[in-house]
Amino acid sequence: MSSYHGKVDSLGLSFFGSMTASISHELKNALAIINENAGLLGDLVVLSEKGRPLDPERMKTISENIRRRVQSADDIVRRLNRFAHSANQPVVSAGIRDIFACMVALSERLATMKGVSLALAPFDEIEVQTLPFVIENLLWICLKNIFLLAGAEQRVVLGACREAGDIVVTLHCTPEIPVEQLASTVAAEGQPLIFFLRMQIQADPDGSSLRLRMPIKFIE
Amino acid sequence: MSVSVLLVDDDEEFLAILAERLTIRGMDVTRAASGEATLDLVGATRFQVIVLDLQMPGMDGLAVLERLIALNPTQQIILLTGHATVTKGMRAMKLGAADLLEKPVDIRELAEKINAAASVGQRGPAGARAGQFLGPPQQTRRPGLLQNLRDLFACGE
Repeated sequence: MSSYHGKVDSLGLSFFGSMTASISHELKNALAIINENAGLLGDLVVLSEKGRPLDPERMKTISENIRRRVQSADDIVRRLNRFAHSANQPVVSAGIRDIFACMVALSERLATMKGVSLALAPFDEIEVQTLPFVIENLLWICLKNIFLLAGAEQRVVLGACREAGDIVVTLHCTPEIPVEQLASTVAAEGQPLIFFLRMQIQADPDGSSLRLRMPIKFIE
Repeated sequence: MSVSVLLVDDDEEFLAILAERLTIRGMDVTRAASGEATLDLVGATRFQVIVLDLQMPGMDGLAVLERLIALNPTQQIILLTGHATVTKGMRAMKLGAADLLEKPVDIRELAEKINAAASVGQRGPAGARAGQFLGPPQQTRRPGLLQNLRDLFACGE
């Protein structure tokens, strides 16, 4: 049992590392643009000292760019904070849509790098009793493998519905993504998490979606 | 004569501002927002120095670097990156990057690196060939990159 928990922890650590590395990259990019905007303000002031008039509208635009990028960096830090807390949460009541939104936000940069777009399907929020971090980890294994299998300009839509006492999470993929292959890869790589969540994973018979079915209440 | 620079980054705001700041410093700057656009531009125009973002959607910086060096082995290329990894840094060096800088970048340092790379490039293929007699090419042509790699990876990846 301890070896099994060790595998869940090991996958979790790897997931946490991937996400925080990606977030730090996003922060670096935000800082780089703030740095360039601030530097440009300095350059324009130096030029004004040499006789080139300062354009107040330009200064306002640059100042607004800095404000916007600081806001964006703050959003990234909030996302990091929420994600970090999900790693030390016990079983809690959480909205599956909230968990999806967190994962889409965390994965968006990596998805964009691979030419994959992520979206949420319209559905009513469903409360689940679960360990959000473990679900996020399994969703990441799904998305990471989609990025590896998909070519550019692919789209994945995350949705969920209730079926009896279960919740069914669906990742609807564009036809070029080999969902059967995805299901077997995720089943192998995510096996400890799938067992932990008492989850069943399968490709839709029409090959358009990956379906993850689990109890709506976590079974200890 | 001003140094001709091709600046490549997928973030258009970053690209526009950095281009303006380098122009203020007397450089002749052209912009490209993707690897594909970069390859189109170098087919038509010769640039003394290319400043290339390492991580871009589609064709990433290393793939672009490889193609650029294949097209022109003496092309001077400076890589810019949010986070360098040891693997990517070493691969960039092996592929022939002149230098590697981390974002956020100090504009004075970047301008110095561009000017230094442009003067190496001005020596042309003959200069690069002469350098090969002095030692391994990466030690004679890219001392800045080697030092930056040492600094960046002093604490590991």
